Amino acid sequence: MNNRFVINYTPGPTFLHKLTGFTKVALFMVMTAAIISTFDIRILIPLLLINVAEVISMKPNYKPITIMFLITFVTVTLIGNIMLFVVSPAAGLNNVGAEHILWQSGRFYLSKEFLWYIFVVFVKRTASFASVMAFALATTPSEFASGLNKCGFPYKVCTIVSLAYRTIPDIANDFINIRNSMMMRGLELTGKKVSLWKKLKNTVILLVPMIFTAFGKVGNIANAMDLRGYGKNKKRTWYAEHDASKGDRIIRILTVVLLLLTIYYVVMYRFINPWPAKFWCPWLQPDEIQHINVFDTLFFMKWFKK
Amino acid sequence: MEEKSFGEKLLGVWNTRTIVTVAIGAALFGVLMNYGSIPIFTNTSLTTAMIVPVVVGAMFGPVPAAVAAGVGNTIADLIGGWGMYPAWSIANAVASLFIGALPLYGAYITEGKFDVKHMIIYVVCVIIGNAIAFGVVAQVLTVVFEGGDMNVSLLQGVYASVGNILVECVIGIPVIKLLANRYASRTNLTEEN
Amino acid sequence: MKEPIIEFKDFSFRYKTQKNPTLHDINLKIYPGEKILILGASGSGKSTLCNCINGLIPFSFEGEIKGSCIVNNTETKKSSIFKLSNTVGTVLQDSDAQFVGLTVAEDVAFVMENDVMPRSDMLPFIDKNLNMVGMREFVDHVPFQLSGGQKQKVAIAGVFGNHVQVLIFDEPLASLDPQMGMTAVALIDDLCRSEEKTVIVIEHRLEDMLYRSVDRIILMGEGTIQADVTPDELLKSDLLKTYGIREPLYLTAMKYAGCDLDSVKNLSDLNSLELSGENTAKLKNFFTEEREPVIEEKHEPVLRFEHVSFNYDGGRNVLEDINLEIYKGERVAIIGKNGAGKSTAAKLICGTIRPTEGKIYLNGTDESGMTIKEIGENVGYVMQDPNTMIVKDIIKDEVGLALTLRKKPQEYIDEKVNKALETCGLYKMRNWPVDSVSYGQKKRVTVAAMMALEPDILILDEPTAGQDYKSYTDIMNFVNTLNKEYGKTILFITHDMHLAIENTDRAIVFADGKMIRSDKVFTVLSDEETIRKAHLKQTSLYTLAVRLGIDPEMAIRHFIEYERTVKTHE
Repeated sequence: MNNRFVINYTPGPTFLHKLTGFTKVALFMVMTAAIISTFDIRILIPLLLINVAEVISMKPNYKPITIMFLITFVTVTLIGNIMLFVVSPAAGLNNVGAEHILWQSGRFYLSKEFLWYIFVVFVKRTASFASVMAFALATTPSEFASGLNKCGFPYKVCTIVSLAYRTIPDIANDFINIRNSMMMRGLELTGKKVSLWKKLKNTVILLVPMIFTAFGKVGNIANAMDLRGYGKNKKRTWYAEHDASKGDRIIRILTVVLLLLTIYYVVMYRFINPWPAKFWCPWLQPDEIQHINVFDTLFFMKWFKK
Repeated sequence: MEEKSFGEKLLGVWNTRTIVTVAIGAALFGVLMNYGSIPIFTNTSLTTAMIVPVVVGAMFGPVPAAVAAGVGNTIADLIGGWGMYPAWSIANAVASLFIGALPLYGAYITEGKFDVKHMIIYVVCVIIGNAIAFGVVAQVLTVVFEGGDMNVSLLQGVYASVGNILVECVIGIPVIKLLANRYASRTNLTEEN
Repeated sequence: MKEPIIEFKDFSFRYKTQKNPTLHDINLKIYPGEKILILGASGSGKSTLCNCINGLIPFSFEGEIKGSCIVNNTETKKSSIFKLSNTVGTVLQDSDAQFVGLTVAEDVAFVMENDVMPRSDMLPFIDKNLNMVGMREFVDHVPFQLSGGQKQKVAIAGVFGNHVQVLIFDEPLASLDPQMGMTAVALIDDLCRSEEKTVIVIEHRLEDMLYRSVDRIILMGEGTIQADVTPDELLKSDLLKTYGIREPLYLTAMKYAGCDLDSVKNLSDLNSLELSGENTAKLKNFFTEEREPVIEEKHEPVLRFEHVSFNYDGGRNVLEDINLEIYKGERVAIIGKNGAGKSTAAKLICGTIRPTEGKIYLNGTDESGMTIKEIGENVGYVMQDPNTMIVKDIIKDEVGLALTLRKKPQEYIDEKVNKALETCGLYKMRNWPVDSVSYGQKKRVTVAAMMALEPDILILDEPTAGQDYKSYTDIMNFVNTLNKEYGKTILFITHDMHLAIENTDRAIVFADGKMIRSDKVFTVLSDEETIRKAHLKQTSLYTLAVRLGIDPEMAIRHFIEYERTVKTHE
């Protein structure tokens, strides 16, 4: 279809590709939990490096990944941070707990902690981006489905995932054909001269046959599945879930270790002995940190105060 | 047609047909996210994908609609290359619970039922659903899990809600109307000269 | 005598949503190892009958059953779809829908996965089943890499569970090109004969099915069994005409020649049928008699390809150096196997993709300067499935859509729409909802929607796919009217050799991205190399001519000429 595809329909040749679906899904879930659990750069950097190493080890086609990363970077980081600077220059104080002002002009100012805050958030987002990439590159949709099922999700939900992937190319094809035929009939969907209102109205014309065509497939597919015993038993097995190798056992052990470390970290450093601010910062001592209530930081709160 | 219980209307009946519909809904969602967007200006576009939970909801109820939107959005992120926004996938699923609630108030579009009363309830649902999903759910997730700033996130939420509400009403209502008209079976047809 | 494996007794079935029973008074016995062909027009009840055997009725389609249907000693209504699927394997018409796995192996494994079979036990079965259909080297392929015929083979391997004794094929030839269709018929026959399975095939393409012998033919009509006979008996009767089934071409030729069919032995098998001296003489005479040739008028070209090549993003050329001309008022068949480049050529004509090299001229104007919308005013493209084209709920609005989008004044729209509706014989139904008319009429609506713009060229993509003979004849008569009376140039993209023979003047053959032939249909269809390269197959006329020792090209030409004179006098 297009070269922006990251998902592989057939398994690749490297170590990570060859792991079972269960190993990959479990690792991904624990990795995501680990990244979510912390705002501490001392933990985020190693997690980022592990995931980047995973991506590199699979020798992927870097073009789609780079495009994807750049788009995420532009939409979230760049635009987000400009907005942040305009709307919430106190984000450093709110999250890191102090403010050393570097530059000021009127109500706008830039603090050392503000820069630290956007740096940490960037590392955290990049780490989770890398982990998603590593997972997406390593896993075929069928392994995704079988792995989810082994992790305890009901198999009917898992088949939704694999079936959706199965039908996407067909539906994309239908969409392109329908769009082309409608354009021949005079439907204008793009172009600078066409007003937004008209584009919206014209989209309706495109969507109706699309919906009929896509959902028109349901009956036949459901019959084909019923006739081959889908839903016969409470469980099912998966061809895509091949036998675990030595590599799987090692990764599974590492996954358990990562899970235990994450739990230990959350319990120790977020409940028993927490850092006074949300973000750890190398140049601040715990006694310098002010605690700010999250809700007081909302820009409209000041309208309610005298 | 037998009357379904409230629970069945809410959760849907999870037989093979439902599963295939939800899967195709998710696939269509993914395709529309990638191909069916209406660009407004650089980096911003209205997506027509949110029409999917309306249709799935109309056929099988809000929970299947939410699953279709959630799975569809996740898949769209993975294949589309526009980046990963898990908080927004979840928010879209939550919004879809409201958008796809049509059978709960009797708007069975596959039987051709969609009148002015249903339309008003639909608009109210769309507004409430988007407000909760992008005003609350997406914000909490972004702040707690991604460390985003609440002010920025809230502004983005308002922006996204307005865009979604626009698409779901301006495109959604005519599409539902057309679908309902096409599904309605009519009798007493006579040839005219 | 063996016990029947399937037995219907005074069986009837009514769908919940329908007033009258779709099947009634069914009495039928099918014995193990038999190969049965179920023939019938659309709506005759043939698919419903098979759904009663595999359990979709009553377990997926609700309704009321009367009488009894026993499959493998079990009353179906007391069984379940899952239990029945252990005995009966069904290959659905739409092999794309049937393919639910993401790879070939996974799709074959689907039935075993649902049976909770451990993976290690699946492997030998997958291997064995794929080997049986000759698809073992494709084990890791994804569905998008496979042709229609290959998908169907996978589907066969996929329903072949452990104990399957009955195989049902629902229109197995519907989406295959002629050569793949022939392979499928042979494979089905092998499964029946060497694997000793009972095989039931639902088809309306009698001629293609007779490529391998069939034990019995059940002719369905109006919801019940009209005949339960051997193929020879069926061909000698006039039941085919009564129930809207197309007769084999060689049989038509024999009838035109005035042969005495009752005396012919093995009438259903072209290779072994015995022709008496008298019949041979009559046929030879028919095939060699000179008739007035169809007069050809040379017109100016409406469409010209000049050294056109196309590839996606600098990849391999999908089309290479195509030069062709289409003349005004011509009817042309664009033929070739899937992926040969025929749909790419159609897309290039429509301007939805543009040539990488070369130029396309439409009425003498270079297309590269035209928008898709402008091209759309000269070229009407009718897609295979009308549902992919229909937007509006009222026929009149659908037909006028292209004009409304072009912001024409209302009186102008009304005038053009009414004219298009009249041309297409839909005027009386103009205020009907689109979804209240039959599939064939919907197809007409989509053609009318194109006609409203008054294009010079109509491109019809597989116009007859999935239609029975009556609907096929209706559509083709209608298209021929557009050609003759309104002078429209018609391009058919098709696999259907009957269509090409009966309704076109010229065939353009694509193979591997190149145009390998552009000639009269009878010349193309009697050239062995073209037939092989383009995945066509020889028609039964060719085989008959060879048996009689006549030049096949001449025989096919005379047949076509005779048929056209018969048709114009009708």
